[in-house]
Amino acid sequence: MSTPPESLVSASSSASAYQLVPASHYDVGQLAEIYNATRVDYIVPMPMNAKRMGDYIRTYDIDLNASLVCRLNTDTGVGIAMLGVRNSRAWLTRLGVIPEQREHKFGRIMVDELIQRAQQMRCREMQLEVIVGNEPAYRLFRKLGFEDQRDLLVVRRPPGKIELPLPALTVEPLSAEGINAILAARPERGSWIDENASLVNSGTLEGISLHLPDGSRGAALWVRGPFQISHILLHTPEGDPQQMAYALLHTLHTRGPMMDTKLENLPLHSPFWPVFQQFGYHETFRRIEMSLALS
Amino acid sequence: MALIIVIEDNEMNSRLAARLLRKAGHEVLIAEEAESGLTMTMEKHPDLVLIDMGLPDMDGQTVAAVLRQQDSFSQLPLIAFTAWPEDTAYEMARAYGLDGVISKPIDTRAFAGQVNAFLQGSGEKL
Repeated sequence: MSTPPESLVSASSSASAYQLVPASHYDVGQLAEIYNATRVDYIVPMPMNAKRMGDYIRTYDIDLNASLVCRLNTDTGVGIAMLGVRNSRAWLTRLGVIPEQREHKFGRIMVDELIQRAQQMRCREMQLEVIVGNEPAYRLFRKLGFEDQRDLLVVRRPPGKIELPLPALTVEPLSAEGINAILAARPERGSWIDENASLVNSGTLEGISLHLPDGSRGAALWVRGPFQISHILLHTPEGDPQQMAYALLHTLHTRGPMMDTKLENLPLHSPFWPVFQQFGYHETFRRIEMSLALS
Repeated sequence: MALIIVIEDNEMNSRLAARLLRKAGHEVLIAEEAESGLTMTMEKHPDLVLIDMGLPDMDGQTVAAVLRQQDSFSQLPLIAFTAWPEDTAYEMARAYGLDGVISKPIDTRAFAGQVNAFLQGSGEKL
């Protein structure tokens, strides 16, 4: 697989001459500004500063040569679309066009170009997540052939002490080898944001293993930031999964009760969702994961 | 007159909020990111903080969580400043220990009154 050569695509849409420029032409601060400008009218804009954009690019394997900025006769971007690439899979993310330029279909133009680029890079699948309620984006992706895969939850737990009963258990911190073993044993691939490569790229992955008196065992991994815990992964290979999930979350949150917690893209039908809710997690919004088979 | 800190990355929103609050007689400081907003709050000890829930370096909820863990800010009026749907905004504000929600876009006629109510402890309860 190879990255496509840097190239400009120039054309005219209904009313404007435009260029599609590799995102690598801009620094992360400029990319953050362009991205933020495309989100100003969103209900959940999720803006980024340069550091956050840089972390995002690194953590999620964004290929900046393949990713695009759409510009009109100046160096100022009016749209952005990013492509994550991992082996034969591609991930479309951060797609946006500034409000006053949306009538020119630059979103469709950028996605079409990214699909072509992913195919040139011999990717066999492109995936994405769209926020539930973003009907224009959802309709665009359906029109392009993307199909729904699953509903994903973005959930939060505010800081707070645990008042739930503590189960009897034995807990040990996980070494780097132990963490790698848990990742290797993972039964299903997460969404792009929380699949193994993203967790490893975060650089701050921690974990614990637990044993219960009845012989059940399990493990939890998470990413620790300065103020927040995120990307929690529960591994329950032996025993009652819900009982083990309870024990894992109880241990995690008892050790750090005052950490804010955010979990992105928990599958709606995860058997652990009711256990998360017991610990005060609640839904903030939903996404639909979609995918497109590439020829 | 109160000292109010507005933590908001959108310049149009922060300028409008500041103009309306200064017209109401308050002193207003603006921070565009969570980190500078937290530093400013800890240094200046304001009477109220308006927190945008979507900041470029950290979520507004996390800002509130960090402040509420400090004894000196446990009672500081923290108001979520957001365009989220009302149900979601109120639920999140309650969960994170904020005192209220003011919706975006700003209602320019009501905004100063809404903030004054929170300063006086009579703001709309969550």
